[in-house]
Amino acid sequence: MHQVADVEVAKNIMDANKKLADRNKKNLEEKGIFCVDFVGAIGSGKTTLVEEIIDNTDYKIGVLAGDVISKFDAGRIEKHNVPVVGLNTGKECHLDAHLVGHGIEDLPLDDMDMLIIENVGNLICPVDFELGSHLRIVVVSVTEGDDTVEKHPIIFQTSDVVVINKVDLADAVGADADKMVDDAKKLNPNIKVIKSSLKEGVGLDEIIACIEDAMKN
Amino acid sequence: MHELSMAQGIINAVIETAESNNATEVNEVTIELGRLAMVNPEQLEFILGVLVENTIMEDSKIIFEEIPVEIECHDCNFHGKAILDDKDHYAPIVKCPECDSFAIEILNGKDIVVKNIVIEKPEDD
Repeated sequence: MHQVADVEVAKNIMDANKKLADRNKKNLEEKGIFCVDFVGAIGSGKTTLVEEIIDNTDYKIGVLAGDVISKFDAGRIEKHNVPVVGLNTGKECHLDAHLVGHGIEDLPLDDMDMLIIENVGNLICPVDFELGSHLRIVVVSVTEGDDTVEKHPIIFQTSDVVVINKVDLADAVGADADKMVDDAKKLNPNIKVIKSSLKEGVGLDEIIACIEDAMKN
Repeated sequence: MHELSMAQGIINAVIETAESNNATEVNEVTIELGRLAMVNPEQLEFILGVLVENTIMEDSKIIFEEIPVEIECHDCNFHGKAILDDKDHYAPIVKCPECDSFAIEILNGKDIVVKNIVIEKPEDD
C-alpha cells in the first residue's frame, strides 16, 4: 500500500544563478576588476563595440565572449591582443553565472582591471540571468527597426545604459533613432542613452566615459 | 532554449525533495512563476514533459501559479502591486498604478519557485 503526502519544496530556481552571480562579482572585486556586460540582438554591434573599447582605452581588459558557437567572436577579439575566453552556450540562448564563473577561472585576473562579457545575441533571455557585472549595457541598432525598444521592455528596464547604434543608417532603413531614445527613457527614466555609429567612431568617447563614471562609483 | 535550463532546475529540485522523502512517484508539482520571469508557461510545460520521461516525475500533474509583480515607485513612493500593460506583450510593461511612472523598482515577480509536491510513498515509511 502507498500513502500520499504533500511535501513543501520552496526552492527558488533563480536563486542558484543569483548566488553564483554574487560570487563572480565578489571574486572580481577581490582582484580590483570592474565588470561590464553587453547584451543586445544578433548584429547590433556588440563585438565591434568591444573591439573599439579595447583599441581606444589603456585598461587591461579580459573578455568573455558568449555565443552559440563562440569561436567566431572570440577569434575576432583575440586579434586585439587581449585574453579572451569563448563561452559556448550550445542550444541555450543566454549566458548564465555558472558559465561565466568557469570562464573567469580561465582568465589572467592578476593582469586585468576590466572584464568585458559579451552575451549571446538576444534581447529576451539574458534578462533572467545576472552574471555578476557592475554595469549592464544594452546595444540596439536602428537597423533592427525603431520599434525594437518598445517591443522588449524588460531588458531596457533592467539595463544601466543603452547604446543606439548604426544611427548613420537610420534614414536608409526608415528608422527614427530619436523614437528609440524616447522609448528607452520612457521605459527606464534612469537609463543613460547614447546614440552611436561605431563604424564612424561616433559615440564611442561617450560610451567609454559612461563606463569610467560607473567605475568611480 | 531558455526554458530548458529552467526545467532542469525545477526537475532537480523536485526529484531531490521526492527522493529524500522516499517517494515512489510524484503525483503533482506546483510551480510559482513570476509574471516577469522571461518564461512562457506553455513552453516550460512542454519541455518538462520531455525531460521527466523515465523519472518518478513522469506522470506528474504540473500546476502553475502566477506570482504577481510588486513594485516600489521612485516618484510617488507607492509600494504594492503594479499595473501590467500586456495587451500586446507577453513580457508586460510595468508601471506605477498611482502616478503612471516607469521609474520603479521591481521587488517581486521575477522568480520561479517550486512550491510543493504531492508524492506517493510506502505506507510503512
